[in-house]
Amino acid sequence: MVLRILERIARVRTMLLQQLINGLTTGSAYALIALGYTMIYGILGLINFAQGEIYMGGAFVTVLLLATGRVPFLLAVAAGMAAAAVLGLILERVAFRPLRGAHPLVPLISAIGASIFLQSLALLLFGPNNRPFPLAFDFTPMQLLGVPFNTLEAAILLAALGFMGLLILFVRYTRYGKAIVACALDRDTARLMGINVDRMVSLTFIVGSALSGVAGIMMAIYYNATYPRMGFLPGLKAFSAAILGGVGNIPGAILGGLLLGVAESLGAAYISSGYKDAIAFIILILVLLVRPQGILRGRGH
Amino acid sequence: MVAYILHLAILAGIYLILAVSLNLIIGYAGQVSLGHAAFYGIGAYASTLTAMSLGFPYPLAALAAMMVSGLCGLALGLPTLRLKEDYLAIVTLGFGVIIDLFMRNLEITGGPDGIVGVPSPVILGISFRPPTLYLLLVALAVALTLLFTYLLVNSYHGRALRAIRDHEVTAQVMGINSPAYKVAIFALAAALAGLAGSLFAHYIRHINYESFGLHTSILIVCMVVLGGMGSILGSAVGAVILTILPETLRQFQAYQDLIYGGLLVALLILRPQGILGKGKLSLKFIERQQ
Repeated sequence: MVLRILERIARVRTMLLQQLINGLTTGSAYALIALGYTMIYGILGLINFAQGEIYMGGAFVTVLLLATGRVPFLLAVAAGMAAAAVLGLILERVAFRPLRGAHPLVPLISAIGASIFLQSLALLLFGPNNRPFPLAFDFTPMQLLGVPFNTLEAAILLAALGFMGLLILFVRYTRYGKAIVACALDRDTARLMGINVDRMVSLTFIVGSALSGVAGIMMAIYYNATYPRMGFLPGLKAFSAAILGGVGNIPGAILGGLLLGVAESLGAAYISSGYKDAIAFIILILVLLVRPQGILRGRGH
Repeated sequence: MVAYILHLAILAGIYLILAVSLNLIIGYAGQVSLGHAAFYGIGAYASTLTAMSLGFPYPLAALAAMMVSGLCGLALGLPTLRLKEDYLAIVTLGFGVIIDLFMRNLEITGGPDGIVGVPSPVILGISFRPPTLYLLLVALAVALTLLFTYLLVNSYHGRALRAIRDHEVTAQVMGINSPAYKVAIFALAAALAGLAGSLFAHYIRHINYESFGLHTSILIVCMVVLGGMGSILGSAVGAVILTILPETLRQFQAYQDLIYGGLLVALLILRPQGILGKGKLSLKFIERQQ
């Protein structure tokens, strides 16, 4: 009897921990996209609605390169990130720069237009079907301190944390990173100090887009699926994560993304899987109701 | 052929109400709603359900649709409209996703299959089943919507709204309660979208979640931007063009979204005032002061 209860508790605990790990893994992707949103919001004060499409673009380039069978994995990932960065750069030039100085509504709608455009372009180029990831990864189940996970989840989580760490180092300790923060704090003063603001905006788009691209690649591996609309919901959820953590706040975006991923995974497991995609937005509306400035206060960086 | 033209005219009328109501939010309150189709859907289901299970006559069902949609607009607008305009965009988009999931999963909405056999409106013993009569009904609703928005926009409250859009701080200094105005206009636009949903449901007579998704929300935004943000007549023209154009370009259906997306970006860069925007109402000319 006692044994059976203990066994039952162990099973419940294992499931909970599995959901937590699962949530942290998807959450790390949300966090990476949210970083792009937050940085661009910090410097330009506007939402790049096409961030989800950049995520999709990065994943597609990597998948297509790997499908040729001649490109090594790491090179393909680097190429995917580079393609995402270039996509972000083009987006900034075409859909945002000509509209700078207009009412904030105008670039917002233009970004929505760009997002629809890129999504349907991908639909035309790649077709509507799911593409599996060309490489197979081993899913060795492991246990660490009683927490069950597999090597793929561990690798994705570690890589995501690595990229976040690199970003924080970049923003804190390099000339360019500090220049971006300066532009976010006060664009005019930054210009007076001799910072080329236009170039810093481009750099922000490059860095933010590369992070979104790598998140897309990670999720293409994790779900073993790449398709034109894959960026839509993660993009929206990541934006919710950015607001959750306080827009413009880098640690806030990371925290918001991870929290959202875990909440979603737990909600899908214990409340209802049919409403999984609604959880992020319900949390968003509740947070805006109670604490509009986000969990960590959003301000500059 | 005549039947087809009637069908297009009815749809154009319904979209016209949607575009004009969204224009109140975009062009007059200076906010973006990316979930307008959700209110349209809520109206359609509310009207259908009150007519079918509660036996409401059509005018009451349409009124119920407006009330329910309007209340949902109020509930969504209250927490978000105090914040910056970007928040409303993302919250309405999320709201659209939530409502879409509800329409797909709830039992009362018939799940993914939707509801079949929505009754045709019968008013004073006359059935509005024939398309010619239905067109009259839609035309009446369109005329009332246009008259109402025209009067609203040119009233004290319309000027207050424009003042908020152009410079919120100044408007507040002049004693205008800007959050209250924004919430009111948002709820009003949602109620009008509910009316459009009711008209759609009782015309098509078979509704499901597909008609009220993000695609529709974006189509409505395109109509407003194409016609010119802040121009009522512009929204009407935009709605008519974007209802008829896709029908005539059927063979390019695969490119439809591509064209919409490209059109939005190109319009905002080349002619931000839209087809009929006069400039004085367009948003491009308002310098951002920070």
